[in-house]
Amino acid sequence: MTARVVICCGSGGVGKTTVSAALAIRLAREGHRVAVLTIDPARRLADSLGIGELGNTARRVPLERVDPSCTGSLDAMMLDAKATFDELIRRVAPSPAAAERILANRYYRFASQRLGGSHEYMAMEKLLDLWQTGPYDVIVLDTPPTRHALDFLQAPDRMAGLFDQGVMRWLVMPATQGGWRALELGSEVVARVLKRILGRGTIGEIAEFFEDFRDLWDGFTERSKRVNALLGDPATRFMLVTSPAEAAQTEALYFLEVLRERGLPFGGFVLNRVTEPPGSSPQPDALAAARPAAISPDRWAQITAGVAQAVDQRAATAARQQARIAHLRASGPADAPMWLVPEADADLHDLADLAALGPYLPAAPWNAGEPPPT
Amino acid sequence: MSLGSQRIVIVTGKGGVGKTTVSVALALEAARRGLRTVVAETSGSQRIAPLFGQESRGYDLVQLAPNLHTLSITPLEAMEDYIVQQVKIRRIYEMVFRNRVMGPFVDAVPGLHDAVQLGKVFDLEREQRFGRRRWDLIVVDAPATGHGLSLLSSARTMMDLTRAGPLYEGVKLVHDVVDDPERTGVVLVSLPEEMPVNETAELYQRLGSDSQERVRLIALNQMAAPPFPAGDDWPRAREALLASGDPALTEAASLTDRWLERLDRQDHARDTLLQRIPRPLVELPRCPGGAPDRAALDELGALLGRAMDAA
Repeated sequence: MTARVVICCGSGGVGKTTVSAALAIRLAREGHRVAVLTIDPARRLADSLGIGELGNTARRVPLERVDPSCTGSLDAMMLDAKATFDELIRRVAPSPAAAERILANRYYRFASQRLGGSHEYMAMEKLLDLWQTGPYDVIVLDTPPTRHALDFLQAPDRMAGLFDQGVMRWLVMPATQGGWRALELGSEVVARVLKRILGRGTIGEIAEFFEDFRDLWDGFTERSKRVNALLGDPATRFMLVTSPAEAAQTEALYFLEVLRERGLPFGGFVLNRVTEPPGSSPQPDALAAARPAAISPDRWAQITAGVAQAVDQRAATAARQQARIAHLRASGPADAPMWLVPEADADLHDLADLAALGPYLPAAPWNAGEPPPT
Repeated sequence: MSLGSQRIVIVTGKGGVGKTTVSVALALEAARRGLRTVVAETSGSQRIAPLFGQESRGYDLVQLAPNLHTLSITPLEAMEDYIVQQVKIRRIYEMVFRNRVMGPFVDAVPGLHDAVQLGKVFDLEREQRFGRRRWDLIVVDAPATGHGLSLLSSARTMMDLTRAGPLYEGVKLVHDVVDDPERTGVVLVSLPEEMPVNETAELYQRLGSDSQERVRLIALNQMAAPPFPAGDDWPRAREALLASGDPALTEAASLTDRWLERLDRQDHARDTLLQRIPRPLVELPRCPGGAPDRAALDELGALLGRAMDAA
């Protein structure tokens, strides 16, 4: 039995973490064994899932609190990039001694926590680990809120590029060593410049790391290939989470384009925090006539102006959003499913609030033919 | 203090809270007061120039208004800039830029992205023109919280990593500026909702006591105005609207209720922030049409300017 992978992506601030959690709950209540992996370091998911603290290992979400007859299960975890990186090194190292040498390298200790893209890459690595070893039917991944929403897709390739021995060879080679070829003259100069800027000590540590890393190279690229295969698997679904705000949609369209370019399986849009239009508009006469005797006409005029404004503003917001939603619909694939999650009246606090979003989310995102609720 | 008493103001907060809006409004106000101001984007999104109907020129400055310029500081361009300063021979630095090793290498040194971006901010701070400093104020539209934090601490990280050498000496100069509360301030942007407020408080805690000192202002964005002047007569008015039996009035009453509940929640959010972050706070009004236009930016700028004067 292989797990299906659902990846929730989108720009920061659209409620990706909330949607990921709500979707995971919904799928668990359908009877699936679900895992949700969040990258969000703000620990807010733990609060609303009611499991105290999230970590790199799975914690069982007490779904019975909201659904006593729930037949599925939900495990939640939050990525610990450093711990995942350490695990990866141990997994692919040819010997425990080789692993320990790398883990003790000063450059590695910086890089595993601070390296651009390492967080994103480890999200992919953790996903693969869960997919290979976890007892799950579905894994929902909440993607990192990176500057560039798609960095995580390129992360395995970028890391592979980094560890490409050709790239670092010039730093590893002592400057006195001969054999520079004319074509590579540029690299020699680069190496010299970098050595001058960074200082020999730092370069030495980086070089040592890449020397040690040579032995891990095969295992590392193998994992990278598997991650890419998993992302591109026809059973995987990328859900584009966005909000009716304009900027978020510009990013969503960009995101869609990248999925298309990379041939990744698009599962549909989830529009979060959609404002429903008011059903009707109060007549000024009717408002005026409703005045109770205890409130003066002047004060009543103040109050009813505010009441009318509450309706008008909501209508205007809903209309603006509908126009943007129509634009998004027209820009996506013709049959792209679209799920609209209404704006909650209050902050989402707990499991029950998250579970309440379930009906607005797909029951099984991999059924491409399933029509979205309208 | 006044708006321009710190030369560098770094604006950060979680995604979608309005960092760019706050950065631009603050910069506009400074420029209006006659401060030569530059507002720097760091996320690579180049959203600011278009707000003024202009095309972004990336790493090159674009003038937006009198006294106001913008640019987008990307890590790779900042790195090139740095290398040009280090390697004075044109033929050599061109060779370095064109080399395929460069991109992956910049990626491979932890914190280098952030450190060179911060280095560019430092360069702007030092820049001289006509015998005086070119910029009175540099507003940095920093990345969303996680990255915003690493930008703030990147000079320190770089110092720890390199320990000696030219880069160490360079980042130490940068660090001395951004770590000096006289010269650098931080504005944290938040929204009046539970989760953003909690995240802002967490961010503040993670800053550590030294950096907490540099937080000059909390900007609580998108505060809704009340539907009508406050009074204790809403329950009675509501009852009358419901008693009318008119479904339109019933719905209007319930929408008004939601508005009032939102006001309660935002008051609560503000109180939580004040309690958890002992720094000055400014409330910024919600713009009814969604994205703020120029007039709204001016209004937000005036509020921010006054708050910075008092902070």
